[in-house]
Amino acid sequence: MPYDVSIERLQLFSLFDLKGPRQGLTDWAGDVLNHLPKAPNQLSREDGVELCHTGANRWLLRAEIGMETDLEAKLRLETAPPEISIVKISDTMTFFRVTGEDAIQVMSIGCPLDLHADAFAAQAVSFTEFFNCRALVLRCRGGFDVAVEQSFADMIADYLDRATI
Amino acid sequence: MQVDRLAAGGRIDRGRPLSFTFNGKAYQGFAGDTLASALLANGVRLTARSFKYHRPRGIIGSGVEEPSALVELTGDDASANQPATTVQLRDGLQAKSVNCWPSPVVDFGSVNQMISRFLPAGFYYKTFKWPNWHLYEPSIRKAAGLAAAPQNPPAGGHFENRFGHCDILIAGAGPAGLMAALVAARAGKRVMIADEGREAGGSLLNRRLTINCRDAAHWVAETIAELNTLANVTHLQNASVWAYREHNYLMVTERTSDNPSLIERNWRVRAGHVICATGAIERSLVFGNNDRPGVMLASAAQSYVNRYALRPGKRAVIFTNNDSAYAVANDLATAGVDIAAIVDSRNEVPREVRATIQETDVFAGHVVTTTKGGRKLRGVEVAPVEGGKSQQISCDLLAMSGGWNPAVHLWSQSRGTLRYDDQLACYVPDQPAQASSSVGAADGKLTLKEAMKSGADAAASLCATGPAAIPQSDDIDYSISPLWRVEQAQGPAFLDIQNDVTVDDVHLALREGYDNIEHVKRYTTGGMGLDQGKTGNINIVGTVALQKDVPLQDLGPTTFRSPYTPVSFGAIAGIREGSVVQPYRHTPITEWNLDRGAFMYEAGARWRRPGYFPRDGESFQDTVNRECRTVRNGVGVYDGSPLGTYELKGRDVGRFLDHIYSNIMSTLKPGQGRYGLMLSDDGLILDDGVALRLDEYRWIVSTSTGHADAINSHMEELLQTQFPDWNVFITTVTSQWNNATICGPRARDVLAALSTDIDTSSQALPFMTFADGQVAGLPARVVRVSFTGELSFEINVAPRHMRELWAKIMEAGAPHGIEPIGSEANHVLRVEKGFLSLGHEVDGTVDAHDLGMGWVMSKKKSDYLGKRSVNLRREGEAVRRELVG
Repeated sequence: MPYDVSIERLQLFSLFDLKGPRQGLTDWAGDVLNHLPKAPNQLSREDGVELCHTGANRWLLRAEIGMETDLEAKLRLETAPPEISIVKISDTMTFFRVTGEDAIQVMSIGCPLDLHADAFAAQAVSFTEFFNCRALVLRCRGGFDVAVEQSFADMIADYLDRATI
Repeated sequence: MQVDRLAAGGRIDRGRPLSFTFNGKAYQGFAGDTLASALLANGVRLTARSFKYHRPRGIIGSGVEEPSALVELTGDDASANQPATTVQLRDGLQAKSVNCWPSPVVDFGSVNQMISRFLPAGFYYKTFKWPNWHLYEPSIRKAAGLAAAPQNPPAGGHFENRFGHCDILIAGAGPAGLMAALVAARAGKRVMIADEGREAGGSLLNRRLTINCRDAAHWVAETIAELNTLANVTHLQNASVWAYREHNYLMVTERTSDNPSLIERNWRVRAGHVICATGAIERSLVFGNNDRPGVMLASAAQSYVNRYALRPGKRAVIFTNNDSAYAVANDLATAGVDIAAIVDSRNEVPREVRATIQETDVFAGHVVTTTKGGRKLRGVEVAPVEGGKSQQISCDLLAMSGGWNPAVHLWSQSRGTLRYDDQLACYVPDQPAQASSSVGAADGKLTLKEAMKSGADAAASLCATGPAAIPQSDDIDYSISPLWRVEQAQGPAFLDIQNDVTVDDVHLALREGYDNIEHVKRYTTGGMGLDQGKTGNINIVGTVALQKDVPLQDLGPTTFRSPYTPVSFGAIAGIREGSVVQPYRHTPITEWNLDRGAFMYEAGARWRRPGYFPRDGESFQDTVNRECRTVRNGVGVYDGSPLGTYELKGRDVGRFLDHIYSNIMSTLKPGQGRYGLMLSDDGLILDDGVALRLDEYRWIVSTSTGHADAINSHMEELLQTQFPDWNVFITTVTSQWNNATICGPRARDVLAALSTDIDTSSQALPFMTFADGQVAGLPARVVRVSFTGELSFEINVAPRHMRELWAKIMEAGAPHGIEPIGSEANHVLRVEKGFLSLGHEVDGTVDAHDLGMGWVMSKKKSDYLGKRSVNLRREGEAVRRELVG
């Protein structure tokens, strides 16, 4: 039988690329960034803001697009000190939501990461590959969110159509 | 009519008859049959012709080891060169022989047999040299005969490729593999077990053995049932583990799955540990005319009689050098096959083995010297090993067993070492190179009890559990005395049956100086067929060892390579076909471009861009000329979104840019930009682009489309390896900014018509400056740069606004005659203006002086990347080509 899965191309999220020492970021925008996860490849959620630890001194902030203006104001991108970098990248990534009984199977067609619950728990997040494109993967209710650079989004949608025939 | 089908028994479903055709003739078999077993049941013995000499050939094996019976499938199953022994029978299957025309019975190519003495190994290399090999190659390849690839893709369904992960991957679901899986799964490990057979059980399906005092098949069924209830077990049946790569990365092709639209699924598995439970493959014996239809591996004969319930012959001779063939004789006799004799090359046959056979002549210390017959076997010549008078025994089946080779292919692919075991007369796994172990027959444990224990022990050791209980089983011990070739063979004695390689060919290779086993392999092509010499490779090594009088350990086997069994290209490609066969990137304007009939192509970094916008009746040149005139005389617009864009932030960005560009960037004031060249270490042009200064610490660097990723890596590498203490952050914002560039003398008019709060006059916004504001009601950054050499405004917006901006530009520009222009016109305009054209004038071999751009090489900076190399080159005497216009 074909896969029991639902695939949705999501609307934009508010996305901010955060770089620099953890202390520097929290000193600058502690009211938004006070829950920066300490462990790599982990995320934390608070007040509608997800903070993903994606690399050494690198984080990604994700929130609903409606929060973008407010977050931009709180993060004060243009005046942040040189020791940290905060860049709005909301338009750079397109998210796909893969949910359903067979979500992990469909993900495994494109993603080399081990997404088994033992290896990729609820708070896990990681950059990896999805159909050979650099991609961010995290869990959502009933499945996974996977984001690729937006210019590849049509191709990824094409792949997902083929994968779920 | 299935003349040789037994009335009862076997693992076939007599309630599900299946019709099929072979060489155009209709036959019937049963569900559970392979094509090979169905052909044998119908009395078909001649199935193919040989690759080189077009000798008549029949079915020799019963599985992936089959060297002889290759078929081409036609119709819905179209595929080439499939061993008949691995083709599952289905209703309507159509198959035909390969290497013959018009049929295997009457084959015009068989004339080669008459001149076979003139066609030894190396014949092609020596003969077809003048004027060159390629003159002869097409006709020789055609004559050589293997089936061609299908003309059309599969009629239905698709392939899939997916990743898999497990703690333990077990290759093989025979007794050892199943025991290992059971122990590991019960211990809670994530287990993946993959087996190439249609059903699990391995050799237990072919032999008549008991486990726990019941038919072994019961134990197999119970074990599989338990494994299938466990959530931590992935069981792949009819799935071949065909490649073992670095870091325990293995390829598994699954031929059946729970998705009926899938033809095949290829798994790319990363395993914590790999257990090779791949069993063993029986090897053939090397005597005269050992390829005649009716000569078969003993284990295959056993499989056909027990698993497929058919008689592979009416009167059989067993030829062996080891104990395992005696059970085969028993099974054949039970099925009603008349056992004419057992010919055992050993002078002494173990008593307990001899006792298993009653009322059968055993010719100990004898060998088969040759076979008799034409298109089928009629008898064999038997003589003492030491020489002497021979006698003829009539038979239509010769079941031969040259001993067992552990299937060490995967182990060897993992780079695990092998050692020669004198007692078993075969190569067995020695030292692992990765996290892997070998169990069961694959490890030389050739009795059922040993095999099951080794599987259980390996898993228990990995899981740190106590010793597992081993079920009771019955099996006789195994002993062998190697027989690498029959000295007094009469007629060609084949070592590699698929590639028609004989003992004489190997001797010729040795005489001609090819004494390394790898050279012998290549000179003779022994072991290089589709079967990779599964039944004959070790005999080649043995023949070389005998001839050179060296121990087999010193020769070693040839290198085992993937794939273990042939893999379809579809399984490797997976769903990557059609529109996704190449990656592609779109901008928000792609659909608009396509709707306007743009000719799209890849323009670097996988971006699909419009090359030009042809109109009815225009030639390509007409279109490009028109688009160029539009920009020179009026106004055009193009989508510049694919240009690489990076935001750099930090105290040291200025000096970093001074290092990577040949000119000075650090002196720029906020709001200003500058064109520059980036050079490689050797002073050649790497890329060009514009740097913009946003404020004291923030900059934007734009690169060419094609080099965007390379420049990103270049900058990161410099920062991480040479300047780790510099305060510079790089963020890719290529897709955070799209841009529509309005260019041409009337560009400012169009911008004004769009309505903007930015003062776009040349005084307020001069060349190489930028300003942020609103354009057409959208937040935008307007940059005064020019790709085409004409007045240009690059309007940057977020991609979410790009379609709206584009529509408004086309609307506001309509009164001014605005037209979209493609990459072709852009390049023409750029070159006409004397601007650098990356990818055309810059090909990785030129520096700035070659292009007349010495002005961009700073004389003020003490150093920058590539400066020293350029100076050294310029100080030399070498003449360099220069662009003169």
